Amino acid sequence: METKNLKSWKDELNVCIRCAYCFEGCPVFKVTGWETDSARGKTILAYGILTGDLEPSQYIADKMFQCTYCRDCSERCSANVSVIDVLAAARADLVEAGFASDTHKGMAKNVKETGNIFGDKEITAPVQQGEIPVFIGCQYLARPNQTKMYIRILEKLGVKPLIKAEACCGYPLYALGFRDELEEHKKKFLETFPEEEIIALCPTCAAFLHEGYGKKAKHITQAILEHLPEKNLGLKATYHDPCDLSRVMGITEEPREILKKLGIEIVEMPRNRKTSHCCGGGGGILMSDVNLSDDIAILRIKQAIETGAPLLITPCPTCEQVLKKAAATVREKGEGNITVKNLSDVVWKALRS
Amino acid sequence: MKIDLEKLKGIVGQDNIKNDIADLYVYGSDSSVHKALASVVVRPTTIEQIQAIVRYANAELIPVIARGSGSGMSGQAVPIDGGIVMDLKKMNRILEIRPADMLCKVEPGLVDDDLNRALKPYGLFYPPLPASSRVATIGGEIANNASGIRSVKYGATRDSVLGMKVVLANGDLVNLGSNTKVEASGYQIDRLMVGSEGTLGIIVEATLLLKPIPKFRCIARASFNKLEDAGEAISEIIASGASPSMLELMDNIAITAVNKTLKMGLPDVEAIVMFEADGKVKEAVDAEINFMKEICEKHNGSGIETSYDLKERTKLFAGRKQLFAALSRYKEGLSCTSLADDMAVPYSKMAECASKIHEIAKRNNVVMTAYGHCGSGCMHTKILMDPTKKEQWQGAKRAVEEVYEYVRSVGGTTSAEHGIGLSKAPAWKKEKADSLNLLRAIKKALDPNNILNPHKMQDAPDDWVSATELRYPVE
Repeated sequence: METKNLKSWKDELNVCIRCAYCFEGCPVFKVTGWETDSARGKTILAYGILTGDLEPSQYIADKMFQCTYCRDCSERCSANVSVIDVLAAARADLVEAGFASDTHKGMAKNVKETGNIFGDKEITAPVQQGEIPVFIGCQYLARPNQTKMYIRILEKLGVKPLIKAEACCGYPLYALGFRDELEEHKKKFLETFPEEEIIALCPTCAAFLHEGYGKKAKHITQAILEHLPEKNLGLKATYHDPCDLSRVMGITEEPREILKKLGIEIVEMPRNRKTSHCCGGGGGILMSDVNLSDDIAILRIKQAIETGAPLLITPCPTCEQVLKKAAATVREKGEGNITVKNLSDVVWKALRS
Repeated sequence: MKIDLEKLKGIVGQDNIKNDIADLYVYGSDSSVHKALASVVVRPTTIEQIQAIVRYANAELIPVIARGSGSGMSGQAVPIDGGIVMDLKKMNRILEIRPADMLCKVEPGLVDDDLNRALKPYGLFYPPLPASSRVATIGGEIANNASGIRSVKYGATRDSVLGMKVVLANGDLVNLGSNTKVEASGYQIDRLMVGSEGTLGIIVEATLLLKPIPKFRCIARASFNKLEDAGEAISEIIASGASPSMLELMDNIAITAVNKTLKMGLPDVEAIVMFEADGKVKEAVDAEINFMKEICEKHNGSGIETSYDLKERTKLFAGRKQLFAALSRYKEGLSCTSLADDMAVPYSKMAECASKIHEIAKRNNVVMTAYGHCGSGCMHTKILMDPTKKEQWQGAKRAVEEVYEYVRSVGGTTSAEHGIGLSKAPAWKKEKADSLNLLRAIKKALDPNNILNPHKMQDAPDDWVSATELRYPVE
């Protein structure tokens, strides 16, 4: 198999000393317990493909795609190995060699044909004139009420959002290994969004606008915090850090500041901020391996329930979705009860009061 | 090697067995330079399953390699002859915590930090604290006789293990040791099991001695412009009767790597010495710290920072804790290889040993660092090199030989805490030349068919470079 993407990470793979420190927080490893599923395991598989020790196979491809891209491994790696970049390169080489799953191929096709990952032509941005470019992203576009809420929050805070007829940021193409499609998509994206400064609603989009395009992307929590007045909702909640917001963007305090300003007492989970436990919704596994995603989400929701807080708040639509499902599962089994809400819900409630 | 997969599936269940080449490849290496393919990976969840697997393997003469997190640095868990890799991480329960007896009973796959988190509400801790405690399993630590930073005060794993249950090579289950701190009579086979690297039996349960968490802990860091001064300070601290709970050395290569990777901002000096004291009474801890501080100052130690605060202590120690991996970023094009990674020398030779390591590295065109738990005589190094170049391996081989020749010449020993496995076996066999037959007789008595982690330690090949394939693609 040609390894044109992995080849450039050869030195990085030699830097990995296989200490296994990445076992500590890897959500996939926490669920399955097999080393092959850990970040180190995937790094070793990538090395095997690169050196020719391993012939690529569907089994290896499946392993490589069983990752949430949460970057807990990179955060814990004392050698600063870019595990996610290595994995993304391996995925890209495997996709070129014909190992992409039908689900992922469908997702890439959807982005190309409809501009969103769902392949739904009815999903469109609520275009409006304004001053500050705001990027909604596929996940929020599919949740029009939540999107509307965020736009109204911004307007109420004196920000005039400029919303365009947008297409996906392209992150799914990157994460799922569709490199050629990504390059083509990026050109089109830049035609729509030539601006350097954009406010993004979704943490993953914000992270990719920053990393994939080098833009000065802001997450909406930063914009909200700048203008939010103090309120007193008198609630108690735990806060779940979305991986792309905390580990990629380093945005851990702004959402907490928002909650504090709203009079919400935060009860932290032991794993918070940059060591936050993944919700299980990233990296494409939500669509291709829903059972694994569910199991990871259940681990996280149980950590939230252990805080004793009745409410979990997160600003990420994917985290919200999978954690809500996990909370329902756990509730049904009689293993605890917690309500999951998007940050917009509590901000809007406070601003309306 | 013919292995009856259906039989093994019948023992551990379909979900606990893997034999795809991808899994065998992943389970064929650890943190050492070696790699070899297992035939199958199994994941038992009960002692009975382990007994059944071992009985089958013994009857069919199939190697069985017990494995924790595979973080060993000398190839202990690398299946040199293929066979059954027994992943014990799923057996990770804490069976009992008995605060009144100061002991706990645990399964072998339990991770060290997880144990200590569970012990904290009882005001207790399990003292061995290897840098890898976040992933290292108790079974692996016992098999390896791990120690770590607090060994200067609390000893190594062997000093914290009271007893264990072991599955022998014939599948029998034996209870070794006791629930008491002292046990006078007999051969004390439990102690023999500690450090046996899976060659004598499979540890399936351990009884561990606990200690109360000290009320006060104070850490200090001193800078030295000369490595020799740092070494002399360490020797004097130990000889003076001071009671450090940690006494660590880092040379300039280690300092540079940590600063580069972790942006620690450590002073750019020839050596840093970190020391810690702990206890129930603050004045006593203060006295210990001040006493050691004065010794450092006497030997030109400067910029000494001290702290009782947990956050500050964690920050002061973070560079040392993450040093092993950080070394891989010392210089572009060089990778950190676990070679000559571990040794112990008499206290008076610490500084000389560090200088010798640098001298040997230069002579052999590789980069070597010197750091370690000097309070217990333990010195670590790593060889930083381009692992894809054949000539670098030739240099590394010579360097390893020379380092251990020096260690033997001053009455030191090949492994302080990382074990022997494959890559340190040639040096260790030279050190233990007059007892090799005795060691082999013990192995033969306990494992007559040589199925338990064969060809390791005294039975490992004489050339570590060709013992297995190297895990790097050497040009």
